Amino acid sequence: MDTLFRNTLGPYGWILLGMIPPAIFALYFLKLKRMPLEVPSTYLWHRVIEDLHVNSLWQRLRKSLLLFLQLLIVGLAMLALLRPGWLGQSLEGRRFIFLIDHSASMSTTDAAGGQSRLHEAKQHVAQLIDQLDSDMSAMIISFAEQPDVVQEFTNNRRLLRESLDRIEPTAGRTDLSGALSLADGFANPARVMSEEDGTEFEVTQQEQVELYIFSDGRFRGVEGFSLGNLEPVFLPVGTFDANNLAITALNTRRNEDRPELHQAFVQIANLSEQLQTTVVELYLSGRLIDAAEMELPAGDVMGATFNLGDVGSGTLRAVLDPAAKVGDSLALDNTAHAVLEDRRGGRVLFITPGNAALESALETDRARRLAMVKKEAPDFLETVAYQQQSQAELYDLIIFDQCAPKSMPPANTLFIGRLPPDAAWQKRAIQEPVSTPQIIDWQRSHPLLNLVELGNVQLIDSLLTQPPLGGKVLIDTTLGPIFAVAPRDSYEDAVLGFEIVGRNSAGQRTVNTNWPRRHSFPNFCLNILEYLAGGSLLPHTQSHRPDKPVELQIASLATELEVELPDGTRTTLPMASPGRLAFHETDQLGVYTVLEGQEVLRRFAVNLFDREESDVRLHVRQEGEEGVLEVDEISIGYVDVRAQSPTTSVRRELWKCLLLGALAVLVMEWYIYNRRVYI
Amino acid sequence: MSTANNSNLLSPELLARLERLEIVTRKVFRGRMKGERRSKRKGQSVEFADFRNYVAGDDLRLLDWNLYARLDKLIIKLFLEEEDLHFYTLIDASMSMGFGEPTKLEYAKQLAAALSFVGLIRADRVRIETLGQSPSERGPVLRGRASVWRMLEQIGAIEPGRQASLAEGVKNFCLRNPGRGVVVLISDLMDKDGFETALRYFVSHQVDCYVIQVLSQEELEPDVKGDLKLVDCEDQDEAEVSVSAPLLARYKQTLDAFVGSAQDFCTRRGMHYLLTNNQLPVEELVAKHLRRRGLVR
Repeated sequence: MDTLFRNTLGPYGWILLGMIPPAIFALYFLKLKRMPLEVPSTYLWHRVIEDLHVNSLWQRLRKSLLLFLQLLIVGLAMLALLRPGWLGQSLEGRRFIFLIDHSASMSTTDAAGGQSRLHEAKQHVAQLIDQLDSDMSAMIISFAEQPDVVQEFTNNRRLLRESLDRIEPTAGRTDLSGALSLADGFANPARVMSEEDGTEFEVTQQEQVELYIFSDGRFRGVEGFSLGNLEPVFLPVGTFDANNLAITALNTRRNEDRPELHQAFVQIANLSEQLQTTVVELYLSGRLIDAAEMELPAGDVMGATFNLGDVGSGTLRAVLDPAAKVGDSLALDNTAHAVLEDRRGGRVLFITPGNAALESALETDRARRLAMVKKEAPDFLETVAYQQQSQAELYDLIIFDQCAPKSMPPANTLFIGRLPPDAAWQKRAIQEPVSTPQIIDWQRSHPLLNLVELGNVQLIDSLLTQPPLGGKVLIDTTLGPIFAVAPRDSYEDAVLGFEIVGRNSAGQRTVNTNWPRRHSFPNFCLNILEYLAGGSLLPHTQSHRPDKPVELQIASLATELEVELPDGTRTTLPMASPGRLAFHETDQLGVYTVLEGQEVLRRFAVNLFDREESDVRLHVRQEGEEGVLEVDEISIGYVDVRAQSPTTSVRRELWKCLLLGALAVLVMEWYIYNRRVYI
Repeated sequence: MSTANNSNLLSPELLARLERLEIVTRKVFRGRMKGERRSKRKGQSVEFADFRNYVAGDDLRLLDWNLYARLDKLIIKLFLEEEDLHFYTLIDASMSMGFGEPTKLEYAKQLAAALSFVGLIRADRVRIETLGQSPSERGPVLRGRASVWRMLEQIGAIEPGRQASLAEGVKNFCLRNPGRGVVVLISDLMDKDGFETALRYFVSHQVDCYVIQVLSQEELEPDVKGDLKLVDCEDQDEAEVSVSAPLLARYKQTLDAFVGSAQDFCTRRGMHYLLTNNQLPVEELVAKHLRRRGLVR
């Protein structure tokens, strides 16, 4: 395989080819039939010929120049058929799997000629494909967040090359394990797990499969993987001195003191060996609103906070402009996106058999500004409409007054006089109410009890509310807690143990407390609306990772929604279940918009935000001779795979040049023959 | 004149022009008979040469009586003798002369006839020989206008095909003809052994020698193409050539060098050399070129 020549013809082909030069010889000497011509004297002619014969070897060569040219053409063709080449040490074996990393870091443009690492890796693979013999087969797997079989085992080199061209860079992170299990599935197809003792055995004699991994090694080793028949070769792509500046975070939040004001926080990492200065520009919906200049020491991470003011909703874009002299070889992480959601009125479902005090407290002008309250009777809980609406998360807060649902809805809840059906609440609760508890303490600092004075409130009876783990007691009495909050998934449940109004066993309306007559009651109601119905903004502003599925809760009953991708294309998606949208095509970085018709329902941002991918320098292993940088090995299972230089495996072949040369000689021969040109 | 008209060698117009010419030699030779040319010998002509004292035995008729009367001395008056001139025409009649249109031999014969005619009418001794002829074939010495027809007959009988080297022919010629005089060699000089040896015989023979090299147009500017096997008509020698522009250029160079060497050789040895081709009319050659060279006047 690593010889200078590679035979491409069988013995019969060579016999046929070997007969050509003698044939040319024969034809050449038979060819020239000179016309006899009688002349007075050959005296002068002989002298002429003698003159021309002075350099006799050269003259002889010149005389049979055409013969030599023809032999040269055949010689070149034969040499081309031998496919001479050198450095051809690679490709021993019969089956090959090429694993090509196309994660975000492979877009680094530090390869020769400003090309990306992926381009370089593809070139290496193309060269390896060129060396495949007809009895060799190969397959191509690309991997980033998810592995993808680009081409299954084939010996069709054209197909392999076409498939190779289809590999596009992605913004995903590197995960080799998935690709390895895929390769393992193809390489060790007949491995069978014995059911009795759980041991694996192979049913057929297995063939070695060469596994070529083209990556920049921006991942940790793969643990718990057995290579089996796979013979790994790690060919690192990239350089040690690639510099990169990256935005590793972009967050928005409301000012703690003044919630209507937004703040943006940008985190920048300098992943190079030099001090870098850069300018961070912040755009809101395409308009430059702020910029900051930063100086980052080598390997450092710094943050910048921008006060945005009351900007309403929009998309936020942070752009990094690194100084030109150091260079930034990965462009993907120089831009980050975030979505600003406007504060919108909360939607509250109020389920009550009748509670005049609470109803009037929720219908004040101020309460209306905070939330839209919809009132329903308890039998609404049994309808399908309730099921659908609650599943679609139409409501931020559901208030259960003197009633309780069968299961907890996906929303914040306030239970009044009842305990939630949740087992966590139920098992710690004492089901029997206690009589005349005296309030002794309440959490004044908690937003729910902000500006609420309870010292003058009297109660007749109440349930005790022991919150589950993670919960907090807000009002304590002499007999136990009567108001508590506890988180549940991304929601919060508040339980008020005492009814405000109730009904006795005879069905008559009773008053349980004097609280509605106190000033603190409307305040408490406003706090409820503000805290439980208005706090739904946080989860929306989070950033999503590329190539990871995004699950959105969308307050819509539509069965199909449209999603506009960052590049402007739109796709239509069915809703998985009411109010839930699963979206998988998050391979682009930027802001995605969910639309129903023309109405924007939701926006979400996809950002790289991965320090491991942004750090594009190759892992260095320093060993042996000083100053010699070597790419660190990767460990797969218990095997450490040493990095090999991809350049050594390139076989440079001459046959194209030789054929071109033969063609040129042919043209020259034709010209000499037709024009009778002699040198 | 009537005999000359019958031959196609000499046209009447040519004869008319030739009538006025005579063969000239820069050397003075001794003739054999009384002729029209001055001789080294003193003798009886009208042209005064010298005086000398009378010695006993001198012809009394030569005494200058006037001087005797004035000086009282016997002085003999000497006159220049006028004798004839040997004029030899040596024609190369080898096979190679049979080429060209007209053939080189034809041309040589025409030229020989013209020159011989000039010699005959001036009462020179004219002898026409071909290279390589046997002694038996040797023609007579011609003299006087009356011999013109015999001369034409003799020249007309010359056919190409004699195989003799140039040197051999010239040597035999020199041995056979001891008389000094004017020799005109008409040949193509294409001898494989070279012409130098042949011409050296003339030098040693002390003749006034004219070498007229006749080449055909085909030899001067060969019109050949392709891959050829050139066959020598004399010795069947073969030369294989593939004609190309550089080859023809080289031929031209070689020919020029060959002609140049012949001219150089002749000039160095006091011989006259003239190159002509078979397309040049004989009249023009004789009346213009040979006249300029001083062979005829």
